[in-house]
Amino acid sequence: MIKLVLSSVRHNLGRYLATLVAIVAGVGFYTAVSVISDGVIDSLEGNIDDQYGNVDVAVVPDEADVVEQTGAQPEPLKVPQAAADQLAALPGVDGSAGILTAPVAFEGSDGKPFATSATGRLWITDADLNPLSVVTGDAPDAAGEVAVDQGLADDEKLKVGAELTLLTLAGPQQVELVGITEFGDSDALDTGGTVSLSEQDAFNWLNSGKQEYESFYLRASGSADDVVAAAGKATPDGFAVESGDEFRDDQREANGSFAQTLKTALQAFAVLALLVGGFVIFNTFSVIVAQRLRELAVLAAIGATPRQLKRSLRLEGLVLGLLGSVLGVVAGYLLTLALQGILALTGNELPGGISFRSANLVSGLFLGTVITVLSVMIPARRAGRTEPIEAMRAAATESADLGRARAVTALVLAALGLLGMLAGSGLATIGAGAVAFVASVFVGAPYLARVGARAARPLLERFGIEGRLAVDNSVRSPKRTATTANALLIGVFLVTLVAVAGASIRDFAIQQVNDVQSADYVVVSQGGTIDPDFVSQLKDVKDVNDVVAFERAPVTIDGAAATVSAGDVAEMAKIANLEVDKGDLADLADGTIAVLDTGDGKAPNVGGTVTVTDSRGKDAELKVVAVLAPTQDTGQTGSILDQASFDSLVGDVAPTIAFVDVASGAQGETKDAIEDLADQRPDITAQEGNALGQLIRTVFDFLIKAVTGLLLMSVLIALIGIVNTMSLSILERRRELGLLRIIGMTDKRVRRMVTLESVLIALLGTLGGMVTGLVVSLLLVLSFNRLSDATITPSIPWVELVAIMVLGVLLGVLAALLPARRSTRMEVLDAISAG
Amino acid sequence: MTSPTEVRTRSAAARAIEARKTYGEGEAAVHALAGVTVDFPEHEFTAIMGPSGSGKSTLMQCVAGLDRLTSGAAFIGDTDISKLNKTELTLLRRDRLGFIFQQYNLIPSLTARENILLPLTLAGTKADQAWFDEIVRTVGLQERLGNLPSQLSGGQQQRVAVARALVPKPDIIFADEPTGALDSRTGTEILSFMRRAVDDTGQTIVMVTHDPHAASYANRVLFLADGQIVDEMDNPTSDRVLDRMKRFEG
Ligand SMILES: Nc1ncnc2c1ncn2[C@@H]1O[C@H](COP(=O)(O)OP(=O)(O)OP(=O)(O)O)[C@@H](O)[C@H]1O
Ligand SMILES: [Mg+2]
Repeated sequence: MIKLVLSSVRHNLGRYLATLVAIVAGVGFYTAVSVISDGVIDSLEGNIDDQYGNVDVAVVPDEADVVEQTGAQPEPLKVPQAAADQLAALPGVDGSAGILTAPVAFEGSDGKPFATSATGRLWITDADLNPLSVVTGDAPDAAGEVAVDQGLADDEKLKVGAELTLLTLAGPQQVELVGITEFGDSDALDTGGTVSLSEQDAFNWLNSGKQEYESFYLRASGSADDVVAAAGKATPDGFAVESGDEFRDDQREANGSFAQTLKTALQAFAVLALLVGGFVIFNTFSVIVAQRLRELAVLAAIGATPRQLKRSLRLEGLVLGLLGSVLGVVAGYLLTLALQGILALTGNELPGGISFRSANLVSGLFLGTVITVLSVMIPARRAGRTEPIEAMRAAATESADLGRARAVTALVLAALGLLGMLAGSGLATIGAGAVAFVASVFVGAPYLARVGARAARPLLERFGIEGRLAVDNSVRSPKRTATTANALLIGVFLVTLVAVAGASIRDFAIQQVNDVQSADYVVVSQGGTIDPDFVSQLKDVKDVNDVVAFERAPVTIDGAAATVSAGDVAEMAKIANLEVDKGDLADLADGTIAVLDTGDGKAPNVGGTVTVTDSRGKDAELKVVAVLAPTQDTGQTGSILDQASFDSLVGDVAPTIAFVDVASGAQGETKDAIEDLADQRPDITAQEGNALGQLIRTVFDFLIKAVTGLLLMSVLIALIGIVNTMSLSILERRRELGLLRIIGMTDKRVRRMVTLESVLIALLGTLGGMVTGLVVSLLLVLSFNRLSDATITPSIPWVELVAIMVLGVLLGVLAALLPARRSTRMEVLDAISAG
Repeated sequence: MTSPTEVRTRSAAARAIEARKTYGEGEAAVHALAGVTVDFPEHEFTAIMGPSGSGKSTLMQCVAGLDRLTSGAAFIGDTDISKLNKTELTLLRRDRLGFIFQQYNLIPSLTARENILLPLTLAGTKADQAWFDEIVRTVGLQERLGNLPSQLSGGQQQRVAVARALVPKPDIIFADEPTGALDSRTGTEILSFMRRAVDDTGQTIVMVTHDPHAASYANRVLFLADGQIVDEMDNPTSDRVLDRMKRFEG
């Protein structure tokens, strides 16, 4: 049996090519998406368990809502050494670790900085709490000793024993590399590389000599709950105590929720791609079975049982499914590599890189094979039903009768679908509605084909009798016409869906992001300062209009962690997005504050007072004169004080953030110059204010293009489907075609007839897909708006839609080339010869 | 065309000269036509008879421009069809010839009326309405013009085919066993329509048949055997044809 199957696959390879392409495309896309989203999630989520596995109790800054609101990180409070000592000395505490990080970089012997986005870390001496372990050399435990991670060591060719210059917030330092570290299975804990420092160096170089920690972790000997309770009393204001599990969950959630959404969305696409593949596989196999009806009938006549026939087809599906899936997985990895290459060209990188996991490989192979075998089920059943007599019959003509059940099913599905999309109250119902609606189009497709073809009759009749006959023929077997058109329909449907819904959502997201930002660049110093020198350097950059620097300090406001800052508010209002919800910034004077509304509903009213306490415990009662809306920019400043109140509370500190305004249309060079400046200083990062918007645009555009590209592949596969169907139909109609030619239809007109029929099928598929796509995406956008009180304006890309339409007609013409030639290559005498 | 044969071709609607058709090569060669010279005179009903495999269909197809001769020549009127290309042949068939086959005569998606008018539709010309009505009445299809072939009996379908052949008033109609698939009564009806077309309007018809009764409707019968004309008979009757055939077998 298997020999028969293999020889059949080999023999029919041309026909199977379409199937194979479909499987490869589906599995390839699925694999690529899995690989990418794994990487994205890993990089966003971090390897939480590796990093924090042994933490039983964590003392962390109260999470200010600002972070969630705007994505910006205000300068956090730190745990002072005194509090840390108290925590470490609590009964039941076995070990402790303080976390302290700050940006560092190395300076090469040529004076050029390298590893500019590395993170300096206080080396944790408690081995259980330290996520890092030493692979070569020793831990850095004396002043002037550092350890770097394996990745950094490999990239920069650093060897243990090397003397290096480390650029820190406290200036350049001469250090000796004493060890290479690794983080779990991977090289790096921090994406830009990790530089571990001994305790004294860490305080001096990372935190201006202050003995403080960003957060503090404890390891309990007995019950962690007791330690949590005890730690609560020893913890300073603005900090929260969390159990290890809570802490890890928080970490995961903070980093991973976006990734999770992204992964779900990407995987939805991937499964969709597999389904398109499955559909095309189904279609091609149906045509193949029809074409091989005689062969199957002969087999049946010489004694093959229906089961054997069925099994042989299913085995063919299995062989093809495996082959296609293997090729697909390879294609998927290649696609990922290509994506990485493309991103690299634009200066971006794939978050998390590419990980070759066996799970992705296996699931790609498995799903691809299963879907192929499933897709072959129905054609295989048809094959099993082959009667020996069909070997003798001229041609199996399908009945044009469609049956009432089909009509009822289609209408019910359509109604349910519309209902789900219009009235659904959750993602599940709305999604199910969309699926039901699309399913109704498939089920009802033979009706649509019949109606559509009839509607097209007046148009096609202008081409003469051949146009008329083309319509008649597609109406004659509406099921076949529909199946062929459906393959195209689903492709065009998805292209339209992605084009319309994708573009709408992209525009909405960009608009949202634009709402929360407005400064062109935000320059932030972490741990260092933005001194007047640096400001004037910035101002000297070509096309930079203005630079406004702000001083910031971590405080608690009425007991909650927050940031306050001071600077030239009037200037900032001009170049940044300083939105006042209530009150007036002009009222800002000594003893007053403009409070940032963090969106938790606890924002005080204008006229009220708040108590602001700085990290040393000094406090002040300030009158609220304004409430600021959370924007990307106010997320950086936090609440704003008048300079005098700021000075009297915090003292005279240097600015740590600057907002930069550049002349519009001067992006390229200016950007490079600003980034170069920032690169000179390890503590300073320059972020394009609208970077997020641009990133979103890039990601969306890329996704839309990539997905459209893949979907266009399915359109090409549909093209092969049309070729198959047309060829089959010509084979069946050879008498009729012969007769037409005998009584005087020229070959040119016969070919035109075939072409017209093919174009008609293509048009039906294209138009059907486009209308379905438009309906579904508009309804989806509407229901999204309804559920989230967002106001996404559906953007309909007319130009693309017209292009798709034209493409559809062209596909029809293209698909007809081969069958049309075949139609006139036959002898006219076939029409009257007995066979 | 000043050769003496021209005088003869004037009265012939179609003719074959030393027509040979060979299938295959060498040892396996089959001479379907082994040098046939024949005239099909205008306004006459000619029947071609002969045992199975004698080359009847081949002769008809080659003269009608459906197939090409291996050697020799075939004329429709004055036109040497071996000199025509594929498209010219198609147009010649469309404009000057009519066909009736044993089966599969009609386009299934077209109504009876549309099938009858198909050659004219293809040529882009209009039917003479009176003539169309007369033929439809003669073959008795008035009531069924709107039906599809699948809604017609075999006999009715064959009447549509006859009407289709007659309506464009072709120079010559070729019919290959037009009654072969019909019962004798329906067959007789079809044959009398054909006879009337020759008598009343001077139509020229060439018909291949196995049936002596059918042959008796013709003006003349040609007998073919092994690709050659072995006999002919004017004003045949069923009995005479039957006698002649018995002699063959003997
Ligand atoms: N395409 C072909 N290839 C090879 N041989 C052929 C072909 N067509 C016809 N022949 C042979 O040519 C000879 C004449 O065939 P033809 O069809 O003209 O016979 P016929 O007199 O019409 O027979 P019948 O009464 O059975 O229809 C036969 O021997 C036949 O086998
Ligand atoms: Mg014959």
